[in-house]
Amino acid sequence: MTKGANEEERLLGFLYAAPVGLVEINASGTIGMINPYAMKHLMPLVGTRDSGNLFAILENCAPELRNLFDGFAAERGTVCDGHRIMVDLRRDQGGAEPKVLACTLVKLDADRAIAGLSDITVQVAQERRLKQAEAWFSSLINDINDYAVGSITSDGVVDGVNASWTKQTGYTRDALIGQTLSDIFPFSAADGNGGMVEQLRLAARDGWHLDEMWYGRKDGSRYWCQRLIAARLGSDGELSGYTLVLRDVTRQTYDTDDLRRLLTQDHLTGAANRARFQQLFEREHRAWLEHGAPLSLIMLDIDHFKHVNDTYGHATGDLVLSCFAKTIAKAIRPTDVLARLGGEEFAVLMPGTGLAEAAELAERLRGLVANMRFETQQGNLAITVSLGCATALPGGDLLRSADAALYTAKRNGRDRVHTMDRAVAAA
Amino acid sequence: MEKIIDATFETIQVGDLQTMRADVCDRLPFGVVGLDSHGITKVYNETEARMAGLDPTTVLGSSFFDAVAQCMNNFMVAQRFEDEPELDAIIPFVLTLRMRPTPVRLRLLASRSAPLRFILVAR
Repeated sequence: MTKGANEEERLLGFLYAAPVGLVEINASGTIGMINPYAMKHLMPLVGTRDSGNLFAILENCAPELRNLFDGFAAERGTVCDGHRIMVDLRRDQGGAEPKVLACTLVKLDADRAIAGLSDITVQVAQERRLKQAEAWFSSLINDINDYAVGSITSDGVVDGVNASWTKQTGYTRDALIGQTLSDIFPFSAADGNGGMVEQLRLAARDGWHLDEMWYGRKDGSRYWCQRLIAARLGSDGELSGYTLVLRDVTRQTYDTDDLRRLLTQDHLTGAANRARFQQLFEREHRAWLEHGAPLSLIMLDIDHFKHVNDTYGHATGDLVLSCFAKTIAKAIRPTDVLARLGGEEFAVLMPGTGLAEAAELAERLRGLVANMRFETQQGNLAITVSLGCATALPGGDLLRSADAALYTAKRNGRDRVHTMDRAVAAA
Repeated sequence: MEKIIDATFETIQVGDLQTMRADVCDRLPFGVVGLDSHGITKVYNETEARMAGLDPTTVLGSSFFDAVAQCMNNFMVAQRFEDEPELDAIIPFVLTLRMRPTPVRLRLLASRSAPLRFILVAR
Protein backbone atom coordinates (compact mmCIF):
# COMPACT_ATOMS: atom_id res chain seq x y z
CA MET A 1 0.00 0.00 0.00
CA THR A 2 2.57 2.51 -1.12
CA LYS A 3 0.59 5.30 -2.65
CA GLY A 4 -3.17 5.84 -2.19
CA ALA A 5 -5.54 2.95 -2.28
CA ASN A 6 -5.16 -0.31 -4.18
CA GLU A 7 -7.74 -1.53 -6.69
CA GLU A 8 -9.92 -3.39 -4.21
CA GLU A 9 -9.99 -0.43 -1.87
CA ARG A 10 -10.90 1.87 -4.72
CA LEU A 11 -13.74 -0.42 -5.67
CA LEU A 12 -14.97 -0.54 -2.07
CA GLY A 13 -14.69 3.25 -1.81
CA PHE A 14 -16.68 3.56 -5.02
CA LEU A 15 -19.49 1.37 -3.68
CA TYR A 16 -19.46 3.02 -0.26
CA ALA A 17 -19.95 6.44 -1.85
CA ALA A 18 -22.37 5.51 -4.68
CA PRO A 19 -25.49 7.69 -4.34
CA VAL A 20 -27.72 4.81 -5.40
CA GLY A 21 -28.64 1.64 -3.53
CA LEU A 22 -27.53 -1.83 -4.59
CA VAL A 23 -28.63 -5.09 -2.96
CA GLU A 24 -27.88 -8.64 -4.02
CA ILE A 25 -30.33 -11.28 -2.79
CA ASN A 26 -31.09 -14.96 -3.25
CA ALA A 27 -34.52 -16.38 -4.14
CA SER A 28 -35.80 -16.12 -0.57
CA GLY A 29 -34.66 -12.52 -0.21
CA THR A 30 -31.59 -13.15 1.93
CA ILE A 31 -29.12 -10.32 1.40
CA GLY A 32 -25.69 -11.31 0.13
CA MET A 33 -24.28 -7.87 -0.57
CA ILE A 34 -25.59 -4.40 0.11
CA ASN A 35 -24.10 -0.94 -0.11
CA PRO A 36 -24.48 1.89 2.42
CA TYR A 37 -26.99 3.93 0.40
CA ALA A 38 -29.39 0.97 0.31
CA MET A 39 -28.88 0.37 4.02
CA LYS A 40 -29.51 4.03 4.77
CA HIS A 41 -33.05 3.66 3.42
CA LEU A 42 -33.71 0.12 4.65
CA MET A 43 -32.29 0.36 8.17
CA PRO A 44 -35.12 2.57 9.52
CA LEU A 45 -37.64 -0.06 8.34
CA VAL A 46 -36.02 -3.02 10.08
CA GLY A 47 -37.58 -2.70 13.55
CA THR A 48 -37.97 -6.23 14.86
CA ARG A 49 -37.75 -7.82 11.42
CA ASP A 50 -34.85 -9.83 10.00
CA SER A 51 -32.33 -7.23 8.83
CA GLY A 52 -30.68 -9.85 6.60
CA ASN A 53 -33.69 -10.32 4.32
CA LEU A 54 -34.84 -7.69 1.82
CA PHE A 55 -38.42 -8.94 1.59
CA ALA A 56 -38.72 -9.11 5.37
CA ILE A 57 -37.46 -5.53 5.73
CA LEU A 58 -40.00 -4.32 3.14
CA GLU A 59 -42.85 -6.47 4.47
CA ASN A 60 -44.84 -3.49 5.69
CA CYS A 61 -44.07 -0.91 3.02
CA ALA A 62 -44.04 -3.13 -0.04
CA PRO A 63 -45.37 -6.63 0.65
CA GLU A 64 -46.05 -6.86 -3.09
CA LEU A 65 -42.33 -7.03 -3.88
CA ARG A 66 -42.11 -10.62 -2.67
CA ASN A 67 -45.27 -11.43 -4.65
CA LEU A 68 -43.85 -9.86 -7.80
CA PHE A 69 -40.60 -11.78 -7.39
CA ASP A 70 -42.27 -15.13 -6.60
CA GLY A 71 -44.68 -14.63 -9.48
CA PHE A 72 -41.85 -14.02 -11.95
CA ALA A 73 -41.61 -17.38 -13.73
CA ALA A 74 -38.69 -16.79 -16.12
CA GLU A 75 -35.26 -17.78 -14.91
CA ARG A 76 -33.84 -14.33 -15.57
CA GLY A 77 -35.07 -10.88 -16.46
CA THR A 78 -36.41 -7.65 -15.00
CA VAL A 79 -38.98 -8.33 -12.29
CA CYS A 80 -39.88 -4.68 -11.84
CA ASP A 81 -38.44 -1.42 -13.09
CA GLY A 82 -38.72 1.68 -10.94
CA HIS A 83 -41.44 0.11 -8.81
CA ARG A 84 -42.56 2.73 -6.30
CA ILE A 85 -42.44 2.08 -2.60
CA MET A 86 -44.11 4.51 -0.22
CA VAL A 87 -42.24 4.73 3.06
CA ASP A 88 -44.04 6.38 5.92
CA LEU A 89 -42.58 5.85 9.35
CA ARG A 90 -44.57 8.41 11.21
CA ARG A 91 -46.51 5.78 13.09
CA ASP A 92 -43.41 4.05 14.41
CA GLN A 93 -40.70 6.67 14.50
CA GLY A 94 -40.98 10.30 15.39
CA GLY A 95 -39.77 12.85 12.93
CA ALA A 96 -39.00 10.80 9.82
CA GLU A 97 -40.51 12.38 6.73
CA PRO A 98 -42.46 10.13 4.36
CA LYS A 99 -40.58 9.31 1.19
CA VAL A 100 -40.90 7.38 -2.05
CA LEU A 101 -38.28 4.88 -3.15
CA ALA A 102 -37.96 3.45 -6.65
CA CYS A 103 -36.96 -0.20 -6.80
CA THR A 104 -35.66 -2.05 -9.83
CA LEU A 105 -35.29 -5.79 -9.36
CA VAL A 106 -33.46 -7.96 -11.87
CA LYS A 107 -33.38 -11.74 -11.62
CA LEU A 108 -29.95 -13.06 -12.68
CA ASP A 109 -30.58 -16.77 -12.24
CA ALA A 110 -32.86 -19.09 -10.24
CA ASP A 111 -31.27 -18.11 -6.93
CA ARG A 112 -29.74 -14.69 -7.49
CA ALA A 113 -31.17 -11.25 -8.08
CA ILE A 114 -29.94 -7.70 -7.78
CA ALA A 115 -32.01 -4.71 -6.70
CA GLY A 116 -31.38 -1.03 -7.29
CA LEU A 117 -32.92 1.52 -4.94
CA SER A 118 -33.16 5.27 -5.21
CA ASP A 119 -34.98 8.01 -3.36
CA ILE A 120 -37.43 9.71 -5.75
CA THR A 121 -39.48 11.65 -3.21
CA VAL A 122 -38.74 15.01 -4.80
CA GLN A 123 -39.47 13.79 -8.34
CA VAL A 124 -42.79 12.28 -7.28
CA ALA A 125 -43.90 15.52 -5.68
CA GLN A 126 -42.91 17.47 -8.81
CA GLU A 127 -44.58 14.93 -11.04
CA ARG A 128 -47.79 15.16 -9.09
CA ARG A 129 -47.87 18.91 -9.43
CA LEU A 130 -47.09 18.72 -13.13
CA LYS A 131 -49.82 16.15 -13.69
CA GLN A 132 -52.31 18.35 -11.89
CA ALA A 133 -51.25 21.42 -13.81
CA GLU A 134 -51.44 19.51 -17.07
CA ALA A 135 -54.94 18.23 -16.35
CA TRP A 136 -56.02 21.70 -15.41
CA PHE A 137 -54.57 23.58 -18.34
CA SER A 138 -55.58 21.02 -20.93
CA SER A 139 -59.11 21.25 -19.59
CA LEU A 140 -58.94 25.02 -19.99
CA ILE A 141 -58.18 24.59 -23.67
CA ASN A 142 -60.48 21.68 -24.42
CA ASP A 143 -63.61 22.78 -22.77
CA ILE A 144 -64.46 26.26 -21.74
CA ASN A 145 -67.94 25.98 -20.34
CA ASP A 146 -69.07 26.18 -16.81
CA TYR A 147 -66.48 27.66 -14.51
CA ALA A 148 -67.54 28.76 -11.09
CA VAL A 149 -65.43 31.52 -9.62
CA GLY A 150 -65.41 32.68 -6.03
CA SER A 151 -63.50 35.15 -3.94
CA ILE A 152 -62.19 34.07 -0.54
CA THR A 153 -60.79 36.24 2.24
CA SER A 154 -57.38 35.48 3.71
CA ASP A 155 -59.25 33.84 6.63
CA GLY A 156 -60.93 31.36 4.29
CA VAL A 157 -64.39 33.00 4.26
CA VAL A 158 -66.37 33.33 1.01
CA ASP A 159 -67.02 36.97 0.12
CA GLY A 160 -68.25 36.62 -3.45
CA VAL A 161 -69.25 34.03 -6.08
CA ASN A 162 -70.33 34.32 -9.72
CA ALA A 163 -73.58 33.11 -11.26
CA SER A 164 -71.99 29.93 -12.62
CA TRP A 165 -71.43 28.80 -9.06
CA THR A 166 -75.15 28.48 -8.48
CA LYS A 167 -75.60 26.82 -11.86
CA GLN A 168 -72.88 24.24 -11.07
CA THR A 169 -73.61 23.46 -7.42
CA GLY A 170 -77.21 24.52 -6.85
CA TYR A 171 -76.22 26.71 -3.90
CA THR A 172 -77.29 30.36 -4.10
CA ARG A 173 -75.01 33.30 -3.57
CA ASP A 174 -76.76 34.26 -0.33
CA ALA A 175 -76.28 30.79 1.09
CA LEU A 176 -72.53 30.92 0.38
CA ILE A 177 -71.39 34.39 1.42
CA GLY A 178 -69.93 34.34 4.90
CA GLN A 179 -69.42 30.58 4.95
CA THR A 180 -65.92 29.20 5.42
CA LEU A 181 -64.40 26.88 2.83
CA SER A 182 -64.40 24.12 5.44
CA ASP A 183 -68.21 24.51 5.65
CA ILE A 184 -68.59 24.26 1.88
CA PHE A 185 -66.11 21.43 1.36
CA PRO A 186 -66.36 19.14 4.36
CA PHE A 187 -63.77 16.45 5.06
CA SER A 188 -64.38 13.16 3.35
CA ALA A 189 -62.50 9.92 3.82
CA ALA A 190 -62.72 9.16 0.11
CA ASP A 191 -60.82 12.28 -1.04
CA GLY A 192 -57.15 12.54 -1.76
CA ASN A 193 -55.83 15.54 0.09
CA GLY A 194 -56.07 17.24 3.45
CA GLY A 195 -58.73 19.61 4.69
CA MET A 196 -59.39 23.12 3.36
CA VAL A 197 -57.28 24.81 6.01
CA GLU A 198 -54.30 22.78 4.87
CA GLN A 199 -55.06 23.41 1.19
CA LEU A 200 -55.27 27.17 1.77
CA ARG A 201 -51.95 27.00 3.55
CA LEU A 202 -50.42 25.20 0.57
CA ALA A 203 -51.92 27.76 -1.84
CA ALA A 204 -50.49 30.61 0.23
CA ARG A 205 -47.11 28.90 0.25
CA ASP A 206 -46.92 27.82 -3.41
CA GLY A 207 -49.13 30.43 -5.08
CA TRP A 208 -51.82 27.92 -6.02
CA HIS A 209 -53.23 24.54 -5.12
CA LEU A 210 -55.20 22.15 -7.25
CA ASP A 211 -57.34 19.25 -6.09
CA GLU A 212 -60.11 17.10 -7.50
CA MET A 213 -62.81 15.17 -5.72
CA TRP A 214 -66.46 14.19 -5.77
CA TYR A 215 -68.62 17.12 -4.77
CA GLY A 216 -72.27 17.00 -3.76
CA ARG A 217 -74.72 19.44 -5.34
CA LYS A 218 -77.57 20.92 -3.32
CA ASP A 219 -80.04 18.50 -4.95
CA GLY A 220 -78.06 15.50 -3.66
CA SER A 221 -76.43 14.54 -6.99
CA ARG A 222 -72.65 14.65 -7.22
CA TYR A 223 -70.03 15.46 -9.82
CA TRP A 224 -66.26 15.15 -10.23
CA CYS A 225 -65.00 18.58 -9.33
CA GLN A 226 -61.64 20.18 -10.05
CA ARG A 227 -60.85 22.96 -7.64
CA LEU A 228 -58.11 25.54 -8.10
CA ILE A 229 -57.20 27.84 -5.25
CA ALA A 230 -54.97 30.75 -6.27
CA ALA A 231 -53.45 33.10 -3.70
CA ARG A 232 -54.01 36.83 -4.27
CA LEU A 233 -51.26 39.16 -3.18
CA GLY A 234 -51.73 42.85 -2.43
CA SER A 235 -49.42 45.54 -3.76
CA ASP A 236 -47.35 45.15 -0.59
CA GLY A 237 -46.76 41.47 -1.40
CA GLU A 238 -48.89 40.34 1.55
CA LEU A 239 -51.60 37.72 1.12
CA SER A 240 -54.91 39.55 0.55
CA GLY A 241 -57.15 36.56 -0.15
CA TYR A 242 -57.77 33.73 -2.59
CA THR A 243 -59.54 33.18 -5.89
CA LEU A 244 -61.28 29.86 -6.14
CA VAL A 245 -62.28 28.23 -9.42
CA LEU A 246 -64.49 25.14 -9.64
CA ARG A 247 -64.92 23.06 -12.72
CA ASP A 248 -67.42 20.30 -13.41
CA VAL A 249 -65.45 17.49 -15.01
CA THR A 250 -67.88 14.99 -16.41
CA ARG A 251 -65.40 12.84 -18.29
CA GLN A 252 -63.62 10.28 -16.12
CA THR A 253 -60.50 9.72 -18.17
CA TYR A 254 -57.88 10.91 -15.79
CA ASP A 255 -54.29 9.84 -15.55
CA THR A 256 -54.19 11.37 -12.11
CA ASP A 257 -56.73 8.75 -11.08
CA ASP A 258 -54.40 5.97 -12.19
CA LEU A 259 -51.45 7.57 -10.48
CA ARG A 260 -53.44 7.91 -7.29
CA ARG A 261 -54.46 4.26 -7.43
CA LEU A 262 -50.86 3.24 -7.98
CA LEU A 263 -49.68 5.12 -4.94
CA THR A 264 -52.53 4.26 -2.60
CA GLN A 265 -53.56 0.68 -3.32
CA ASP A 266 -52.04 -2.60 -2.26
CA HIS A 267 -50.95 -4.36 -5.42
CA LEU A 268 -52.21 -7.85 -4.48
CA THR A 269 -55.47 -7.28 -2.64
CA GLY A 270 -56.71 -3.94 -3.94
CA ALA A 271 -57.12 -2.74 -0.35
CA ALA A 272 -55.69 0.65 0.61
CA ASN A 273 -51.97 0.37 1.31
CA ARG A 274 -50.31 1.23 4.58
CA ALA A 275 -49.24 4.72 3.55
CA ARG A 276 -52.78 5.50 2.44
CA PHE A 277 -54.18 4.09 5.67
CA GLN A 278 -51.91 6.31 7.72
CA GLN A 279 -52.97 9.34 5.73
CA LEU A 280 -56.68 8.54 6.16
CA PHE A 281 -56.25 7.59 9.78
CA GLU A 282 -54.56 10.88 10.60
CA ARG A 283 -57.26 12.81 8.82
CA GLU A 284 -60.14 10.95 10.49
CA HIS A 285 -58.43 11.18 13.83
CA ARG A 286 -58.06 14.93 13.41
CA ALA A 287 -61.73 15.18 12.43
CA TRP A 288 -62.63 13.19 15.54
CA LEU A 289 -60.61 15.60 17.70
CA GLU A 290 -62.26 18.60 16.06
CA HIS A 291 -65.85 17.45 15.71
CA GLY A 292 -66.13 14.57 18.17
CA ALA A 293 -68.03 12.20 15.85
CA PRO A 294 -67.12 8.64 16.92
CA LEU A 295 -64.28 6.83 15.17
CA SER A 296 -63.63 3.11 15.48
CA LEU A 297 -60.99 0.75 14.20
CA ILE A 298 -60.86 -3.00 13.67
CA MET A 299 -57.46 -4.70 13.36
CA LEU A 300 -57.55 -8.07 11.61
CA ASP A 301 -54.86 -10.72 11.39
CA ILE A 302 -55.33 -14.03 9.57
CA ASP A 303 -54.56 -16.89 11.97
CA HIS A 304 -51.58 -19.14 11.29
CA PHE A 305 -50.99 -17.57 7.91
CA LYS A 306 -47.35 -18.60 7.89
CA HIS A 307 -48.59 -22.19 8.04
CA VAL A 308 -50.73 -21.56 4.93
CA ASN A 309 -47.69 -20.23 3.04
CA ASP A 310 -45.40 -23.00 4.23
CA THR A 311 -47.84 -25.85 3.59
CA TYR A 312 -49.72 -24.72 0.48
CA GLY A 313 -47.16 -22.38 -1.10
CA HIS A 314 -47.02 -18.61 -1.67
CA ALA A 315 -49.40 -18.78 -4.65
CA THR A 316 -52.16 -20.18 -2.43
CA GLY A 317 -51.18 -17.68 0.26
CA ASP A 318 -51.69 -14.86 -2.23
CA LEU A 319 -55.06 -16.28 -3.29
CA VAL A 320 -56.15 -16.47 0.35
CA LEU A 321 -55.08 -12.86 0.92
CA SER A 322 -56.93 -11.50 -2.09
CA CYS A 323 -60.13 -13.55 -1.43
CA PHE A 324 -59.99 -12.51 2.21
CA ALA A 325 -59.73 -8.84 1.22
CA LYS A 326 -62.60 -9.19 -1.27
CA THR A 327 -64.83 -10.81 1.35
CA ILE A 328 -64.12 -8.06 3.86
CA ALA A 329 -64.46 -5.27 1.27
CA LYS A 330 -67.91 -6.55 0.25
CA ALA A 331 -69.13 -6.72 3.84
CA ILE A 332 -68.14 -3.23 5.02
CA ARG A 333 -69.94 0.04 4.26
CA PRO A 334 -68.77 2.46 1.55
CA THR A 335 -67.63 4.92 4.22
CA ASP A 336 -65.38 2.34 5.88
CA VAL A 337 -61.81 1.93 4.70
CA LEU A 338 -60.14 -1.46 4.33
CA ALA A 339 -56.34 -1.35 4.34
CA ARG A 340 -53.58 -3.92 4.20
CA LEU A 341 -51.01 -2.91 6.78
CA GLY A 342 -48.50 -5.58 5.82
CA GLY A 343 -48.25 -9.35 5.51
CA GLU A 344 -51.55 -10.82 6.69
CA GLU A 345 -52.49 -7.81 8.82
CA PHE A 346 -55.44 -5.66 7.78
CA ALA A 347 -57.45 -2.82 9.28
CA VAL A 348 -60.96 -1.47 8.84
CA LEU A 349 -61.26 2.20 9.73
CA MET A 350 -64.83 3.20 10.55
CA PRO A 351 -65.59 6.94 10.66
CA GLY A 352 -68.80 7.93 12.43
CA THR A 353 -69.10 4.55 14.12
CA GLY A 354 -69.22 3.66 17.82
CA LEU A 355 -67.64 0.68 19.52
CA ALA A 356 -70.76 -1.50 19.75
CA GLU A 357 -71.48 -1.18 16.04
CA ALA A 358 -67.83 -1.89 15.18
CA ALA A 359 -67.81 -4.99 17.39
CA GLU A 360 -70.97 -6.21 15.67
CA LEU A 361 -69.39 -5.82 12.24
CA ALA A 362 -66.20 -7.50 13.47
CA GLU A 363 -68.16 -10.54 14.60
CA ARG A 364 -69.91 -10.69 11.23
CA LEU A 365 -66.54 -10.50 9.42
CA ARG A 366 -65.18 -13.28 11.63
CA GLY A 367 -68.11 -15.53 10.62
CA LEU A 368 -67.71 -14.72 6.92
CA VAL A 369 -64.01 -15.58 6.98
CA ALA A 370 -64.58 -18.82 8.92
CA ASN A 371 -66.95 -19.93 6.15
CA MET A 372 -64.43 -19.33 3.34
CA ARG A 373 -63.09 -22.49 1.65
CA PHE A 374 -60.21 -22.86 -0.80
CA GLU A 375 -59.64 -25.90 -2.96
CA THR A 376 -55.96 -26.77 -3.10
CA GLN A 377 -53.94 -29.75 -4.26
CA GLN A 378 -53.51 -30.72 -0.62
CA GLY A 379 -57.28 -30.69 -0.03
CA ASN A 380 -59.72 -28.11 1.25
CA LEU A 381 -58.29 -25.17 3.12
CA ALA A 382 -60.22 -23.12 5.67
CA ILE A 383 -58.92 -20.06 7.47
CA THR A 384 -59.86 -18.05 10.54
CA VAL A 385 -59.14 -14.50 11.56
CA SER A 386 -58.56 -12.73 14.88
CA LEU A 387 -59.99 -9.25 15.29
CA GLY A 388 -59.35 -6.41 17.72
CA CYS A 389 -61.90 -3.61 18.06
CA ALA A 390 -61.34 -0.17 19.53
CA THR A 391 -62.87 3.28 19.44
CA ALA A 392 -61.24 6.70 19.83
CA LEU A 393 -61.39 8.00 23.42
CA PRO A 394 -59.98 11.18 24.95
CA GLY A 395 -56.58 10.34 26.41
CA GLY A 396 -56.50 7.02 24.56
CA ASP A 397 -54.43 5.79 21.65
CA LEU A 398 -56.76 4.26 19.09
CA LEU A 399 -54.10 2.37 17.13
CA ARG A 400 -52.53 0.97 20.24
CA SER A 401 -55.90 -0.01 21.75
CA ALA A 402 -56.91 -1.85 18.57
CA ASP A 403 -53.51 -3.56 18.42
CA ALA A 404 -53.81 -4.59 22.06
CA ALA A 405 -57.34 -5.94 21.50
CA LEU A 406 -56.09 -7.96 18.51
CA TYR A 407 -53.29 -9.34 20.63
CA THR A 408 -55.78 -10.40 23.30
CA ALA A 409 -57.96 -12.09 20.68
CA LYS A 410 -54.88 -14.02 19.51
CA ARG A 411 -53.86 -14.95 23.03
CA ASN A 412 -57.37 -16.11 23.93
CA GLY A 413 -57.27 -18.73 21.21
CA ARG A 414 -57.74 -16.93 17.83
CA ASP A 415 -60.84 -17.03 15.56
CA ARG A 416 -62.49 -14.46 17.80
CA VAL A 417 -63.20 -10.78 18.33
CA HIS A 418 -61.84 -8.92 21.31
CA THR A 419 -63.23 -5.48 22.10
CA MET A 420 -61.18 -3.00 24.07
CA ASP A 421 -62.04 -2.23 27.65
CA ARG A 422 -63.14 1.42 27.68
CA ALA A 423 -61.96 2.03 31.24
CA VAL A 424 -58.47 0.70 30.54
CA ALA A 425 -58.08 2.46 27.19
CA ALA A 426 -59.00 5.89 28.53
CA ALA A 427 -56.78 5.57 31.60
CA MET B 1 -1.89 5.57 29.41
CA GLU B 2 -2.49 2.01 30.63
CA LYS B 3 -5.85 3.07 31.99
CA ILE B 4 -7.02 4.29 28.59
CA ILE B 5 -6.07 1.13 26.76
CA ASP B 6 -8.06 -0.79 29.34
CA ALA B 7 -11.13 1.32 28.62
CA THR B 8 -13.82 -0.68 26.83
CA PHE B 9 -16.37 0.05 24.12
CA GLU B 10 -18.91 0.78 26.85
CA THR B 11 -16.77 2.80 29.23
CA ILE B 12 -14.38 4.93 27.20
CA GLN B 13 -15.10 8.66 27.45
CA VAL B 14 -15.12 11.35 24.79
CA GLY B 15 -12.28 13.15 26.63
CA ASP B 16 -10.09 10.01 26.50
CA LEU B 17 -10.62 9.70 22.75
CA GLN B 18 -9.99 13.36 22.15
CA THR B 19 -6.49 13.23 23.63
CA MET B 20 -5.54 9.67 22.65
CA ARG B 21 -2.38 9.09 20.59
CA ALA B 22 -3.09 7.69 17.13
CA ASP B 23 -1.08 4.51 17.65
CA VAL B 24 -2.96 3.83 20.90
CA CYS B 25 -6.26 4.44 19.21
CA ASP B 26 -5.30 2.06 16.38
CA ARG B 27 -4.83 -0.76 18.90
CA LEU B 28 -8.30 -0.45 20.44
CA PRO B 29 -10.35 -3.61 19.75
CA PHE B 30 -13.27 -1.60 18.36
CA GLY B 31 -13.63 0.84 15.46
CA VAL B 32 -13.19 4.54 16.24
CA VAL B 33 -14.34 7.33 13.93
CA GLY B 34 -13.94 10.98 14.93
CA LEU B 35 -15.73 13.75 13.05
CA ASP B 36 -15.53 17.50 13.24
CA SER B 37 -18.63 19.66 13.30
CA HIS B 38 -18.83 19.58 9.47
CA GLY B 39 -18.79 15.78 9.40
CA ILE B 40 -15.20 15.64 8.10
CA THR B 41 -13.34 12.50 9.19
CA LYS B 42 -10.50 13.46 11.56
CA VAL B 43 -9.95 10.11 13.31
CA TYR B 44 -10.25 6.72 11.60
CA ASN B 45 -8.50 4.00 13.49
CA GLU B 46 -6.84 0.88 12.13
CA THR B 47 -9.53 -1.46 13.55
CA GLU B 48 -12.27 0.36 11.66
CA ALA B 49 -10.17 0.59 8.48
CA ARG B 50 -9.59 -3.17 8.57
CA MET B 51 -13.30 -3.95 9.02
CA ALA B 52 -14.29 -1.61 6.21
CA GLY B 53 -11.44 -2.64 3.93
CA LEU B 54 -10.34 0.94 3.39
CA ASP B 55 -7.03 2.78 3.62
CA PRO B 56 -7.33 5.28 6.51
CA THR B 57 -5.45 7.92 4.51
CA THR B 58 -8.21 8.00 1.86
CA VAL B 59 -10.93 8.27 4.51
CA LEU B 60 -9.29 10.99 6.61
CA GLY B 61 -10.41 14.38 5.36
CA SER B 62 -13.47 13.00 3.55
CA SER B 63 -17.08 13.72 4.44
CA PHE B 64 -17.85 10.60 6.48
CA PHE B 65 -21.64 10.42 6.00
CA ASP B 66 -21.30 10.95 2.23
CA ALA B 67 -18.19 9.01 1.27
CA VAL B 68 -18.05 6.08 3.67
CA ALA B 69 -21.15 5.70 5.81
CA GLN B 70 -24.23 6.83 3.95
CA CYS B 71 -26.11 4.15 5.87
CA MET B 72 -25.74 6.32 8.97
CA ASN B 73 -26.85 9.46 7.13
CA ASN B 74 -30.38 9.40 8.51
CA PHE B 75 -32.29 10.24 11.66
CA MET B 76 -30.84 7.22 13.45
CA VAL B 77 -27.26 8.50 13.55
CA ALA B 78 -26.28 11.68 11.66
CA GLN B 79 -29.40 13.59 12.70
CA ARG B 80 -28.82 12.72 16.35
CA PHE B 81 -25.45 14.47 16.33
CA GLU B 82 -27.21 17.55 14.96
CA ASP B 83 -30.00 17.39 17.54
CA GLU B 84 -28.14 16.31 20.68
CA PRO B 85 -24.99 18.26 21.63
CA GLU B 86 -24.58 15.97 24.65
CA LEU B 87 -24.86 12.43 23.38
CA ASP B 88 -23.82 9.03 24.70
CA ALA B 89 -25.95 6.25 23.29
CA ILE B 90 -25.43 2.65 22.23
CA ILE B 91 -27.65 1.46 19.38
CA PRO B 92 -27.88 -1.80 17.46
CA PHE B 93 -27.19 -1.21 13.77
CA VAL B 94 -26.38 -3.02 10.56
CA LEU B 95 -23.34 -1.79 8.63
CA THR B 96 -22.36 -2.77 5.11
CA LEU B 97 -18.70 -3.52 5.75
CA ARG B 98 -17.18 -4.67 2.45
CA MET B 99 -20.82 -4.70 1.22
CA ARG B 100 -21.76 -7.50 3.63
CA PRO B 101 -24.66 -6.75 5.98
CA THR B 102 -22.96 -6.83 9.37
CA PRO B 103 -24.87 -6.43 12.64
CA VAL B 104 -22.91 -4.18 14.99
CA ARG B 105 -23.34 -2.01 18.04
CA LEU B 106 -22.66 1.68 17.61
CA ARG B 107 -21.82 4.04 20.44
CA LEU B 108 -22.48 7.68 19.60
CA LEU B 109 -20.50 10.17 21.66
CA ALA B 110 -20.60 13.96 21.64
CA SER B 111 -20.00 16.61 24.22
CA ARG B 112 -20.16 20.41 24.14
CA SER B 113 -16.70 20.50 25.67
CA ALA B 114 -15.07 18.37 22.93
CA PRO B 115 -14.47 19.56 19.35
CA LEU B 116 -14.84 16.07 17.82
CA ARG B 117 -17.82 13.71 17.78
CA PHE B 118 -17.11 9.99 17.93
CA ILE B 119 -18.73 6.87 16.55
CA LEU B 120 -17.49 3.60 18.05
CA VAL B 121 -18.18 0.35 16.23
CA ALA B 122 -18.24 -3.07 17.92
CA ARG B 123 -18.93 -6.21 15.94
